[in-house]
Amino acid sequence: MKLATRRVLDRSFSGLGFFSIGIMAASLVVMLAPMFVRGLDAFVFKATVEHRRLMLERLGRGNRDATSGEVTRAASARQPVYDMITRFKTEINDYSADQRRIYRGAVRDLESLVRELLGPFPGEAQPVLIRQQFGQTRWDRAQAKIREILYVESYDYSDPTKMGVRIETPRVEAFRGTSLEALFPYIEAHAEEMLRPRTTVYWRFLFDGSMDAHFFGGIWPEVLGTFYLTFGAMIFAVPMGIIAAIYLVEYARDTWLIQLLRTCISSLAGVPSIVFGLFGLAFFINTLHVSESKSVLAGSITLAVLVLPTVIRASEEAIRAVPLTYREAALSLGAGKWHTIVSVILPAALPGILTSIVISMGRAAGETAPIIFTAAVSVGKPLKLWETASQPTPALPWNIYNLATEHEAVDEIRHIQFGMVLTLVVLVLLLNVTAIVLRARVSKKLRG
Amino acid sequence: MFRTLILACALIGTAFAGDPSTLVLDGSTTVGPIAKAFAEYYMQNNPDVSITVSESGSGNGAKSIVNGTCDIANMSRFMKPEEFKAAADAGKMPVAHVIAMDGIAMIVHPGNPVKELPVEKIRDIYMGTISNWKDLGGPNKKIIVVSRDTNSGTYETFETLVMNKQKMAESVEYVGSNGAVRQRIQSTDAAIGYVGLGFVDNTVKAVTVNGIAATPQTVASGTYPIARPLFMFTDGYPKLGSHLHAFVTLYLSAKGQEIIESIGFVPVTAY
Repeated sequence: MKLATRRVLDRSFSGLGFFSIGIMAASLVVMLAPMFVRGLDAFVFKATVEHRRLMLERLGRGNRDATSGEVTRAASARQPVYDMITRFKTEINDYSADQRRIYRGAVRDLESLVRELLGPFPGEAQPVLIRQQFGQTRWDRAQAKIREILYVESYDYSDPTKMGVRIETPRVEAFRGTSLEALFPYIEAHAEEMLRPRTTVYWRFLFDGSMDAHFFGGIWPEVLGTFYLTFGAMIFAVPMGIIAAIYLVEYARDTWLIQLLRTCISSLAGVPSIVFGLFGLAFFINTLHVSESKSVLAGSITLAVLVLPTVIRASEEAIRAVPLTYREAALSLGAGKWHTIVSVILPAALPGILTSIVISMGRAAGETAPIIFTAAVSVGKPLKLWETASQPTPALPWNIYNLATEHEAVDEIRHIQFGMVLTLVVLVLLLNVTAIVLRARVSKKLRG
Repeated sequence: MFRTLILACALIGTAFAGDPSTLVLDGSTTVGPIAKAFAEYYMQNNPDVSITVSESGSGNGAKSIVNGTCDIANMSRFMKPEEFKAAADAGKMPVAHVIAMDGIAMIVHPGNPVKELPVEKIRDIYMGTISNWKDLGGPNKKIIVVSRDTNSGTYETFETLVMNKQKMAESVEYVGSNGAVRQRIQSTDAAIGYVGLGFVDNTVKAVTVNGIAATPQTVASGTYPIARPLFMFTDGYPKLGSHLHAFVTLYLSAKGQEIIESIGFVPVTAY
């Protein structure tokens, strides 16, 4: 081959390399950036006075005097709204029966929207559900609600050959010529005084339990559940995995049986995770009865089975990579096989083994399918350590899915879902960083 | 060291396994919102009780009560004979508590001009004999038909009350929860689906069925054609005075009724 051709080939190959790395970095940014931005929104956001009232009344947090002062000021800004609605309701008694019916319906819709924005009307009985005891706690949600109050969304079906076109008409049109006309400009102009938004860092999002099925509060039960499941899986998978790897490398002869076993382990690594989930339900819960119901224990064992092949294969490689001379030296000094393994081979293979453990931890933390039937629930309290043997738990991966698809008010609690996503991603990222640091540390130490 | 720890955990676990202050609920995604709100309310008043709720479908609820892995099975349909048989064989005696009424709303994208569908037309849509909105007075667009999965109680009810033993077309999309159906409809302008009454919001449009709108009033009066009770099943009638008993009778109280109403379902009681 000519030198020039070779050079061109070289160049194009390295160009291809740069290109693919660029693509990877770009997709990482495209994927992670929205997760971080929207996830941070759960921790740092513009909170309204309702948020501070919620914190004070339900959790006893915040400055009581300052908050109640704010609540009073907000209430005086809200009073005209209530006054206008009350005045209008007495006013419609003078209208004709037909008009009265139309206005009653319209004002009922308006009232329920105002209730969603500001919470229950003064003097109204306290609703049972927490979601109805407070107005919008977040300024972004409040603004969306205000928009709903100001504009009625409808569809124009005039062209029968096409789908209807969305149109927004100002709600004030429905009340033209009545005293309620003044309400809409008032709400638009005084929204900030009524809700008093302020940028708030809600770091306790991580450590608070959920309130009213994730409408308010934080994600501590989920975070804790994920920790329990991950570490539980490691407790089962690590000893078994390392022992199996030692056996496969140091003791097993190269027979067909061992070959078969290796093939089995490899194919186990390729089994879809939902199969593990169903297996866990059928075997650990329904057959072995490790717990009365779904539980962290059952979920951990299922996850352990899932990550076991990874731990075995990676540990096997790490042990195999220990130079033969180490073994020979140990044996020549009179150490037995067991002694050699424990005091020479395992320490030398430790970096590789540790990496495999931490990477499988990341996998176990993020898996959803194996825990659906064995451990995960939509809502639950944070568990105490001894409760993990018998009780199910919420966990981040499952609850992200639950909030994204099953929850009755998906759009209103998106920020909580993204907060969970961010937490899970950061958790897995931290685990991987730990793996790298640990590996570097241990190999440095081993090199002396 | 690890082993002893696990053993210790397991031992303590078994010691606590009979603890009556935990309630495990499993089953229907339709009953889910009620169950979650009840759990929240009950735990507020009884802080020592721990209640967990999973939403995995009515079929799973039935399986869980047969296998004894839950205390309460939330179901949006009645138990089937074979499930009763499996339960009896396992020594379980399922008792039904009707906690609320629900209508199955037929939902389309709000941009869809179709307002009214008779039950027969809905059946034709799901059988695939009507496949374009123009046959129903809408634009020329292929209908995307969305159904719940076969594990769902909502599916079973729909099959009984609407399909009349006819098979659904192969092209029907099956989705795993009420929320997922709603999301599919709100993002797809030519789609149709069905969800429990509590899942209808302003991002989708509920069409009238046989000219009757799906509202709590029409469901309560029995005029809405696709309505059904929602159940909680327990193994035997719970012991009086137990948390389990208090929980499954919560729907009878004024507060329970208020919760069911404010989530959008229809209470069986009227205060």
